[in-house]
Amino acid sequence: MLSIGLPHFLVVGAALFALGIVTVVTRRNAVGILMGVELILNAANVNFVAFNHYVDPARLTGQVFSIFVIVLAAAEAAVGLAIVLAIYQTFRTIDVAETDLLRE
Amino acid sequence: MAAVPPRDPRQSLLYVLWRLAAMGTGFLVAGGVALYRIRSGHELPGAGWFALWFATTAFFWGFAGLFLRRLALGPVSTPLFGAAVFGVLAFLGYLAGQVAAPFFAMIGTRVLPFVKPSDLVFYAFAGMTIAGAAGTAFSRNIIYSAWSLLFAFMGVAGLYIFLGADFPAVAQVLIYVGGILVLILFAIMLTKQIGEDPKLTNVHLALPVGAALGAAAVAMLVYMAVMAPWKTVDNPRFDPTSGPLGVAFLTEYLLPFEIASVVLLAALVGSVIIARKEIKETTDSAP
Repeated sequence: MLSIGLPHFLVVGAALFALGIVTVVTRRNAVGILMGVELILNAANVNFVAFNHYVDPARLTGQVFSIFVIVLAAAEAAVGLAIVLAIYQTFRTIDVAETDLLRE
Repeated sequence: MAAVPPRDPRQSLLYVLWRLAAMGTGFLVAGGVALYRIRSGHELPGAGWFALWFATTAFFWGFAGLFLRRLALGPVSTPLFGAAVFGVLAFLGYLAGQVAAPFFAMIGTRVLPFVKPSDLVFYAFAGMTIAGAAGTAFSRNIIYSAWSLLFAFMGVAGLYIFLGADFPAVAQVLIYVGGILVLILFAIMLTKQIGEDPKLTNVHLALPVGAALGAAAVAMLVYMAVMAPWKTVDNPRFDPTSGPLGVAFLTEYLLPFEIASVVLLAALVGSVIIARKEIKETTDSAP
């Protein structure tokens, strides 16, 4: 059994990314789709921090980028959920298969 | 004066003591046979097996009389039940002695010396992350999806700590768990869910296609991650990173830092504008 290294974290990130893709592709609930986007961003973050730790530990580029990703994820969640609420006020549903009109 | 109902004979002290004595006798006989087997070292004779069967039957008779009172045991069914229990116990003992014990001995001698506790911590966090993400992806109730997302976020924070990234771990817990997850729960509560069944609020659309896409993505990424010759350093460091991160934000990454703050302000204002209720003119509302 080999010790924990960079590929272990990359495999975890790949699994997170694939599950996020599955969530985004298959959900009909708009909030569920936003959850999948968060999973994908977390997968990217795991890869950033893992590469920073195992490839270039002297500089902190990966951790800086992970902080930026977290910040942008917060902004994205706020705007995305506001859009979901606006869609709900307009269509009375958040089923993305039914919200197919460009104007009321 | 009311008539005293006849007492159940099974509630008398003598009955309980008699059954307890049977259980004790069976236990002692079985223990004696096992001791004889261990001390003498050779195989059990037929009388030994008979004594074991007798001990099992006596123990079972006492046990059934005390705890399984619905079971009516007669003079014929008692030895049969005893034999059945004895057979099951003998089979389990054979299995434990011949199959399970060598297996665990093999694990103890071959695998355990190579397992480090830190590896177990990593696998615990990774399993928590992937299990949470899978719950998010496949749960049929969106509330369960949101709580599974909590486990995924906490697992990722644990992975950050495992990688020596203390500040991203704390930011993960504070922002993702404390902010984004609460926002998601608010959005779930504020919107009417799809359909009327509260257990089917998170239905899937073309799940086989999505599963195939996810399987392809994970296969490609894992192949790349395992086969690529990464130029890793030999001994990664575990220094605290909060101070150097602050220095990096205020020197090398000052412009992206300021732009991020502007982005946050814009997102704040924009989300308020988007999500507020519209005040419509009611005169020309013709759907």
